[in-house]
Amino acid sequence: MSYKVTEEGNISTVHLDGEIDMDVTEKAKEVIFPVIDSGKEVHLNLSQVQYMDSSGISVLIESHQRALEKNTKVIIKDVSKSVLKVIMMAKLEQILNLE
Amino acid sequence: MSEIAHQDHIEKKAFLVNSSSLKDVRVFCREVFEKLHIQEDLKEELVLAIAEAAQNIVKHAFKNSASPTELMVVQISCENNKLQIAFYDRGTPVDPKKVKHREIDNVKPGGLGTFFIQEIMDAVEFKDGKKPWINHLVLTKQL
Repeated sequence: MSYKVTEEGNISTVHLDGEIDMDVTEKAKEVIFPVIDSGKEVHLNLSQVQYMDSSGISVLIESHQRALEKNTKVIIKDVSKSVLKVIMMAKLEQILNLE
Repeated sequence: MSEIAHQDHIEKKAFLVNSSSLKDVRVFCREVFEKLHIQEDLKEELVLAIAEAAQNIVKHAFKNSASPTELMVVQISCENNKLQIAFYDRGTPVDPKKVKHREIDNVKPGGLGTFFIQEIMDAVEFKDGKKPWINHLVLTKQL
């Protein structure tokens, strides 16, 4: 998994690239959580993520919940069809902020 | 159920029991499913189910602390359009009664892997592991 973080005004965008599984979840959290903790609105761009397992879904849930605690929000952007299918299988499409 | 007649096939591969192997498990599965001409959407669902089962071996049967040389085996077979995926490992014996996913409406991290496996596959069965194996999990899906 590789990543890039961009800033524009009060929005930080985390672009993830690759397959998100148990092996990379700690790295994903290390990238995403400090951005959430900064209090900015976080856009999580998943256009380059073609595979995500339950560990990756847990990172999305934790990010969402952490953002609520910090009075900000995480918006998940440009989800690939394959990852959207997993999010829907977990019945999270109404819980997570998807755009 | 698929209208395509899938060729009978059997293939197995051993992997080190660690999280870095999960990518290799997925690569192996995708290669076998290519040979079986399984359609793309179903292929990725099956890959997810298999990777979740392999993850459970790493995470639960070995509690993320397998020895560096410890192996698990994944065997994929297809006979008469019935796909069977078998997993063999030497971790802590699994009590099938304790294998449960979390309540799906109780949104919290974790507990989804088993749910995904059950959603995707037709049957999930723990069999007695024959020596040298301790656990023998079999997932089946009619193609």
